[in-house]
Amino acid sequence: MRNFLEKTRFYIPHLLILLVIANDSLLINTWIAPGPIINLKYILLFYFCFYQPDRISVISLFLLGLVFDSLQSTPLGMTSLCFIVASKLIYFLKKRRTRANFQNEFISFGIVLAAVQILTLIIFYYFSKTSPEYSLLIINTILTLALYPLFRYILQFFYRYQI
Amino acid sequence: MNATKLAKSSAVGTAVLERTFKQKLLTPVLIGVCFLLLTLENISFRPIKLLKSLVNDAITYSAFIINLPVNFTADTSKSFLEFFNFNIHQENKILKDQVNKLISEKNELLFFKNENDNLKRTLGIRNQGEYAALLVKVIKEDTSEFGKSFSITKGSSENLELGQAVVRNNVYLGRISEVNLLSSKVMIVTDAGSRIPIVIPSKGVNAILKGDGYSNAELLFLPPSSSLDNNDQIYTSGTDGIIKEGLYVGKVIVKEDKNKKKKYSVDLGFKEHQLNYVSVLKLKR
Repeated sequence: MRNFLEKTRFYIPHLLILLVIANDSLLINTWIAPGPIINLKYILLFYFCFYQPDRISVISLFLLGLVFDSLQSTPLGMTSLCFIVASKLIYFLKKRRTRANFQNEFISFGIVLAAVQILTLIIFYYFSKTSPEYSLLIINTILTLALYPLFRYILQFFYRYQI
Repeated sequence: MNATKLAKSSAVGTAVLERTFKQKLLTPVLIGVCFLLLTLENISFRPIKLLKSLVNDAITYSAFIINLPVNFTADTSKSFLEFFNFNIHQENKILKDQVNKLISEKNELLFFKNENDNLKRTLGIRNQGEYAALLVKVIKEDTSEFGKSFSITKGSSENLELGQAVVRNNVYLGRISEVNLLSSKVMIVTDAGSRIPIVIPSKGVNAILKGDGYSNAELLFLPPSSSLDNNDQIYTSGTDGIIKEGLYVGKVIVKEDKNKKKKYSVDLGFKEHQLNYVSVLKLKR
């Protein structure tokens, strides 16, 4: 029983990210706000990868990315690549960090988010016939960054990791 | 149980793959697969397209199943609120009045339609191609920073094609942007990439309607001399030859800034997130 509970608790981040990916339109982006203002999937990805790099495997990230690309009609493989690059970047930034505090974590999140959005633009430029709306991407990035502390606070209720 | 052990078994086949490749090799291999998939995106090779279409179908229907509990919760809360609606008698009375008004308007429209057909016959004007409506169910709506769309339950097996207009009660909702075997994706008119030719018959003005990526749309390429009024009706002009002409899109809303300069916005004729069934307009051949 304990084993089962442990396993369930372990897979909750996977399920949470999958639900956010499959339900992006049903969460904040349409019920609360008028449009795609927040990138909840990157907040969850950063939080879980930052505090426990082993938790979500590379293959899980690859598959989750494929699901998102298929649902959003973006170039297949784009989000998978972004997820994998983001997870490796998070791991790298965490290793380089000298002091464990919120300021460092927030800066790391900003760097990861910026890197991922730039990678998205590069992929759209080279592999897609359409281009995203830049103003939407900028608003999305800024608001995701601004709302990170709030979601971090909520997530810490359920997952209190040791730094 | 060890967290690392669990992580290794967290995806289908991960354990087998990780035994085959070393952990260090797995990431470059997956990045390579991503680039391969991205390269295949622009290649129109039939088997790859078919495979991609099947993958899309599987993911779309799986997402629908995943969404069922969330949708059920949302619907239940809505039904619960409706159950405690104490103004229901008053609403019923208002609706009855509206229905009577609509019936009389419909009769009037039928008269004008017949008159229009007779005039066209007399002047020798031929109608544009006839369209057939195919009723489809909306599986799920998607909103992200890359676009706004919804998935429907019919695909290329029902001869759906790219660009076909999707309507609900003759109100234009969007056009088909991706066709799979058993499902399709519809780009909503509010998507930032959506552009449709429209006409405002009361002013004789043609323009382009562009989505803003949120829940509105704006008018582009309006003639400089044009002056629109509040509640001017907007219809599709059909000049692109794909979308049927005369589909209702919405109405104009005029706002004046400090310099008394008019600014136009559009009140679309439908509400997002309330779509259950829609119709695809197919050109009869």
